[in-house]
Amino acid sequence: MIIEQANAGVLTNFDVFDFLRARGATSDPMGCLGAVAPSECKVFEYLHQSPACTQTRESIDEFLERCEKFKLSPAEKLNIINLRPSNQPEIYALVKECGKRLVKGDIDEVPELLELVNEVLPQPPPKPEAAAEQHESMRSNLLDISG
Amino acid sequence: MFCLSEIEHDLPIPPCLLNRPLISAIKEELERLFLDKVIANLGLCISIYDVHSVEGGFIFPGDGSAMYKVKFRMVVFRPFIGEILMGKIESSDEDCLRLSLGFFNDIYIPEHRIARPCKRGDDGIWVWLYEGEELPLDIGEEVRFRVLSIKYPPVPNEQKEDAKPFAPMEIIGETSGDGLGLPSWWGD
Repeated sequence: MIIEQANAGVLTNFDVFDFLRARGATSDPMGCLGAVAPSECKVFEYLHQSPACTQTRESIDEFLERCEKFKLSPAEKLNIINLRPSNQPEIYALVKECGKRLVKGDIDEVPELLELVNEVLPQPPPKPEAAAEQHESMRSNLLDISG
Repeated sequence: MFCLSEIEHDLPIPPCLLNRPLISAIKEELERLFLDKVIANLGLCISIYDVHSVEGGFIFPGDGSAMYKVKFRMVVFRPFIGEILMGKIESSDEDCLRLSLGFFNDIYIPEHRIARPCKRGDDGIWVWLYEGEELPLDIGEEVRFRVLSIKYPPVPNEQKEDAKPFAPMEIIGETSGDGLGLPSWWGD
C-alpha cells in the first residue's frame, strides 16, 4: 500500500453524511444491513445527531460566501459549519484569537457572525429527550383542549 | 474531522469475485481490507469514496487471484489539531476522562486538561468548580472538546494481562476553555 496523498481534500460533516445517505445508510441499524458496513452505519448515526443532518449544499455555499468578510481561515469555517455554534463562547472557542480578530475597537463582530450562522445554517434536529418532552407537552395541550 | 486520502494498492481479487463487474468486486475487496481500520499516521478509514484507476490483472503462477494495481480515494477520520468536536463521556477515571464518538472510542482528556479548578467526587464523577457552583461532567453527557494531539502508538510485542486493550489511534483533548465542556454551561 502506498499513500499517494494523505490529504486530498477535506470534507465537511455534511459531505460525509450526504455520501453515506446516497449509498443507502439510514439511522436505523437494521435498515443499513447490506447497504453499508456496520462501521459506516455508526458514523452515519453520529452525523444524524449532528447539525449536518439538516444542512443542504446551498446553505453551506451561502454561508461560505457570506462569511468572507470575517476573514476566517478555512479550518475555522469548516469547524463552524460542522458544529454550528449557537452562542458567543462557542465562537470564542472556534475562532483563534477571536478577541483580537473579530473585536476591532468598539465594533464587535461576534454577534454578527452568530446571527449569520443562525440565519443561514438550518437549526439542528432536537435531541431525542427534548423531542420527547415536546411531544409530551403537545399531548398535555391536546388533553387540555379535549378536557 | 473527515478528509479524503489518495491511496495506491496492489490488490488480489480472488477468483470467486471474478464473475462480478470489476469495479464492484474491487470496491468490495477494498472495503473488506480497509474499513474500520486505522492506518498509522493517516487515520481511521471510514469509507471507500471512489476508484480512480485499475491496472493489470496479472495472475501469478500458483495463485488463482488476479492482481490489480488500484488507485482509489478513501474517506478518513482524522481531526486536525485545534478542531472542536462533540463527544459523549464514556468513563471517568482517576487520571482521565474517556470520550466516545460512537464510531471511535479512544479519546482521552487528561486530568489537567479538564476544566480548572476541578475535583473528583466520591462517585468518580469530575466536577468543575466555577464561582462557587459545582458543574458535574456526568457519564453519558455530550461535551465539546478541543483536539490537542493524535497519537499512533506502535503495536506492542507483548502485553500484560491486565493492560487495557491496545488502541492504534488515540486522540488527546481538552475541555477547559471558553465554549468547551457541556453545552448547557454556556447556554444563555
